[in-house]
Amino acid sequence: MHRPNYLAVFWMFARNSLIRDMTFRTNYIIEVIFGVSWALMNLGFYTLIYRLMYADGDGHANIAGWSQYQFFVFIATTILVNSLVEGFFMANAEELSELTRTGGLDFALLKPIDTQFLLSLQRVNWSAVPKLILALALLAYSIPRIDGLTLSAIQFLLYPLYIVLGTLILYSVMIGLAATSIWLGRNQSLYDFWFYITNFSRYPMEIYEGTFGSPLRFVFTYMIPILVVINVPAATLAKPLSATNWPLAAFAVFATVASLAVSRWIFQRALMSYRSASS
Amino acid sequence: MSVIEIHGLRKSYRVYQKKEGLLASFSGLFHREYREVNAVKGIDLTVDKGEFVAFLGPNGAGKTTTLKLLSGVITPTAGEARVLGYVPWERENDYRRRFALVMGQKNQLWWDLPAQESFQLHQKIYGIEPTAFKQTKDELVDLLGVAKLLGQPVRELSLGERMKMELIAALLHSPEVLFLDEPTIGLDVVAQHNIQKFLKHYQQVRGITILLTSHYMKDVAALCKRVVIIAGGEIVHDGSLEGVIDRFSDYKILTVDFADDRMPSDLARFGEVRELAPPRAKIEVDRNQIASVLTNVLANYSILDVSVEDPPLEEVIASLFALTEKQQRDSQDANIATTAANVAAAGKN
Repeated sequence: MHRPNYLAVFWMFARNSLIRDMTFRTNYIIEVIFGVSWALMNLGFYTLIYRLMYADGDGHANIAGWSQYQFFVFIATTILVNSLVEGFFMANAEELSELTRTGGLDFALLKPIDTQFLLSLQRVNWSAVPKLILALALLAYSIPRIDGLTLSAIQFLLYPLYIVLGTLILYSVMIGLAATSIWLGRNQSLYDFWFYITNFSRYPMEIYEGTFGSPLRFVFTYMIPILVVINVPAATLAKPLSATNWPLAAFAVFATVASLAVSRWIFQRALMSYRSASS
Repeated sequence: MSVIEIHGLRKSYRVYQKKEGLLASFSGLFHREYREVNAVKGIDLTVDKGEFVAFLGPNGAGKTTTLKLLSGVITPTAGEARVLGYVPWERENDYRRRFALVMGQKNQLWWDLPAQESFQLHQKIYGIEPTAFKQTKDELVDLLGVAKLLGQPVRELSLGERMKMELIAALLHSPEVLFLDEPTIGLDVVAQHNIQKFLKHYQQVRGITILLTSHYMKDVAALCKRVVIIAGGEIVHDGSLEGVIDRFSDYKILTVDFADDRMPSDLARFGEVRELAPPRAKIEVDRNQIASVLTNVLANYSILDVSVEDPPLEEVIASLFALTEKQQRDSQDANIATTAANVAAAGKN
């Protein structure tokens, strides 16, 4: 026996999850339909807003500096990051409080493998795949329609990198909140706050200004860095590369590392205080 | 060579004392009362390599808590323990590759998938060489006779079949130490017997160290030479199963078959009469008086047959459990009484 090959273990997780999803076909199809509908409704909603603005204005509608197709890239990025978070992490974070409550966490703690890895990735949600495809299609549709934008190779390379960073930031917030269920015990968890908090990440950060917006922008950029999750990759792709963007892009790297470190710390502390459930 | 060493191991929980009713629940938001529950109160134990030790005890005695401490699932309040030289709750991967825990009431296999998929996952997690994996798996599957069930989703298996799969999953990495928490709970007699037979065989062949908790005396009698009785979080007996009777039962059962239906009417003077079915009588006789009673009976009556037996083990253990539980309640009551007295005294001052 030797140290596990984490990639091989993850592959088994993905494989077993797929076998499971295929067994419960109806459930899978329903999840896909709801997921894709949610994304399409979002898109429709913003199309509506832009149409209203076109009707009111001079034909150059934009939200805080984002033209319609630039904003479509923003939405596509939201859907893309969401599908990754849902695909890899969401089911696991949800399961965590259940595992704590029922004592199922016992078995995870017995395995000779990193416990956070095991609990974060053991279920892969394949119903997120169609949403991911939808996001890519929307990108392909929107990018050529952005006025006066020529993409450089570096933008194509940076985009996936920032998508990964953004996904990892959301994961950190998620697992950090979910791990509190181990700490607080039983039915209590801060996990539900994830939805409230991440709600703010779905809009361009430029809209957060003024006496109300600026503090929000500060908190959600530097304290809980969810504003960089969608904004940084979306701006990288939808807007011309400019020197003014670099500080924020560099900060995104730092924010990801810091978020992962903090959530890791919370997770480890939580595991130490695990009480198990009686059997 | 000792594989498990435990010194003064303690585990206590703080439990929120919830009061009855809605109003009390609201007041519980602001003011909470906690109660300290001592699940394990200072255990010392040494287990040698290759031993098969049973933990016996009533519900809530601390058996499962001890196993969870030794598996590193929970951390103790105080005390030390080493298994294979490792401190369990440090959760080192090197340690986790060398032991296994099976819980009869919990299941670690993927519920919706065939067991073989979970086995493969274990192979990857434990980093078991493919050839070794196949060999071990085939051997275990063969021993437990579950070859035909490997492709069936776990949720469709019977409890007994599932338990066998759980055992296979736990043994794939050939652990040197095995913790079994009520592995036969809820199983029918045949399934219980099969699991016992398997465990006995496996332990003898592999010479691994096993710690087992069970409510079934039959499990224990069939498998373990050494029995550790835990009650109220403390070890009250550590020795052979027969030793339990010698130590904790103060009577023997005398069975007499009288000749000619001439049964004395005052049998009660020998001890408590348990069963009276003339010409046979069963009497509980004080251990110290068995010799004199026997002489007396043989000298004064005409007897067809006579036998002296130990009381059934289950009975002895049941009364032992009842006794320790009563002692605990008494000491708790005493504590409460002292607290109440102190409060009253403080009130007067």
